[in-house]
Amino acid sequence: MAVRSAEEAARRRLRMLEKYGVFGMVLLMAVVLALLQPDVFLSAQNLTNVLRQIAMNALLALGLYVVILTAGIDLSVGSIMALATMLLAMADVAGWPWPVAILVGPAVGVLCGLVNGFGLTVLRLPHPFIMTLGTLYTLRGVTNLVSGGRPVSGVSDTIRFLGSGEIPMPFLGKFGSVPVSAVVLLVCYAGTAYFLNRMSVGRHIFAVGGNPQAARVSGIDVNRILLVVYGMSGFFAGLAGLLMAGRTGAGFPNAGIGAELDAIAAVIIGGASFFGGRGTVLGVFAGVLVMGLLRNGLNLMDVSAFWQQTLIGMIVVGAVFVDVLRRRAGRGP
Amino acid sequence: MTRHTLKGLVAAAGLAAAFGGAALADTRVAVIMSDSGSANPFWAAVTKGALDKGAELGIDVAAVAPAGGETDVAGQIAMVEDQIAKGVVGIAIAPADTAALVPVLEQARKRGVHVVFIDKRADMPGTYIGTNNIPAARIGAQHICDNVESGSEVAVLQGIVTSTTGQHRAQGGREGLLDCGLNLVAEQPADWDAGKAQTATENILTANPDLRAIFASNDNMALGAIEALRTAKMLDQVMIVGFDGNPNAAESILKGELAASVAQRPAVMGAMGVEAVLKLVAGEELPDEIDTGAELVTKENAESYR
Repeated sequence: MAVRSAEEAARRRLRMLEKYGVFGMVLLMAVVLALLQPDVFLSAQNLTNVLRQIAMNALLALGLYVVILTAGIDLSVGSIMALATMLLAMADVAGWPWPVAILVGPAVGVLCGLVNGFGLTVLRLPHPFIMTLGTLYTLRGVTNLVSGGRPVSGVSDTIRFLGSGEIPMPFLGKFGSVPVSAVVLLVCYAGTAYFLNRMSVGRHIFAVGGNPQAARVSGIDVNRILLVVYGMSGFFAGLAGLLMAGRTGAGFPNAGIGAELDAIAAVIIGGASFFGGRGTVLGVFAGVLVMGLLRNGLNLMDVSAFWQQTLIGMIVVGAVFVDVLRRRAGRGP
Repeated sequence: MTRHTLKGLVAAAGLAAAFGGAALADTRVAVIMSDSGSANPFWAAVTKGALDKGAELGIDVAAVAPAGGETDVAGQIAMVEDQIAKGVVGIAIAPADTAALVPVLEQARKRGVHVVFIDKRADMPGTYIGTNNIPAARIGAQHICDNVESGSEVAVLQGIVTSTTGQHRAQGGREGLLDCGLNLVAEQPADWDAGKAQTATENILTANPDLRAIFASNDNMALGAIEALRTAKMLDQVMIVGFDGNPNAAESILKGELAASVAQRPAVMGAMGVEAVLKLVAGEELPDEIDTGAELVTKENAESYR
């Protein structure tokens, strides 16, 4: 009996580690940075900088999280973001009225996402890796074709509001303000959490990820769910494109190169399982924060950016290893 | 106290006076490059030049680049923000994108952080520190003047003539050759391409069998011209000068085939970037463009360009 209860306790500890480990990591990083860079790290300016810098990765990761819930993958989000940024900038510079131009980014995103979903459900390509690898290349190429490989600058202030607007916070100092993009993140994360946990389509996404056969048998239209999921991922990539156009005042062909890998890493660090069906919105946000704090902290300490890549790789492996331990313990003797 | 630190203190005191009494120890300048030194020797030299200048002046210089290199625009924007938060007095930057960096750099200026450009300019006002290709090409032409008889027949291989770089190098080469009394018999575009340069050189040689020298606007074209000369067995008769100071050009120089090449001075670029920021801090006015100058690569110094 004593042995069993000890195993039980070990299992519980692992479950705690898996569930809350990433939050502990965020906290630990913040404490370490506050100790190493006491004057700079905790300043309002630096903390709001972190919010500004994570906005795009946070949106891409949110889209990828929904895809990974179905045990899928979307490699095309960086390219979708680039195309959305570029077409949005071109539409705005060409003088389209802002209520239309501002929709170009998200609309392009949804459309590209549906193309991914179409490849899976109608063309029946064997794995989303293939379809989205294809669109990763194709959409990057299209972005370069429509722009001639050159940036398009002069995006209007109205369009830029979501990406570069600041809400003045005089109590945070002379230039104190909170970025509007942080509010966009809050709305998107809260909305996605509600959608996944409270709406039937959202709960079906978990079901498809957990066991697609069982989901099909119980009457869930798996193809429809996949279209919704890849459409959402595209939407968030398009929205990230809108924020990028705001932050840079331009559409530029190299936007989002490699961004899909940062987003996947954030989702995995945040505790979602590659086999689908597990993870939380809050965990994903914590995963995004881990990556954002790492980049910010290394920049502040003038450490070579190569360390960032090295450390992120190690953290990804460590996070998944915790998952492996938990599964092993869960299987029991 | 050693003599060394004493000298340092005196120098620091002098500089402190020059900068209106600002505490130099707290002075921090960021050099933000578009690619890292470990990935690209050009940026390694910029880094060294900037850090050496910082050590010389006794100020804190950080030379950094985004992990993703030239395509990591978001990473570079974040770096600018983080350096502002660290309290730099100024930033010398090689923008990864000419348009996308503009808002964050305007933000920097709004907060009193000075901004200058190195190697490449963003689409905004400010001082640009880089190689002026006209005088640089003249240096190459001068080497030809020094080594062939006055009145000799010479030619220029141009790069892509619709680009500013192509125009400036062609202009500097032509002016330099004409000024010292050489007979410029041909100017042909070969689009920076070795193959096209080979064809162009063959044609020039056919029309001008007494040719003595060619100024090529880049090393690729210079090496293409050498292949044409080799085939025509005229390597001994015609001297070639290239531009860029590339490693394969240095090899060719050491072999005695290519006569010389013109190289940019990235270390000077890094040092000048730091200096320019400090001059702006001291309230000085700077010109729109500062030329880093160029260096002739010959047999004597080619080893260091390999």
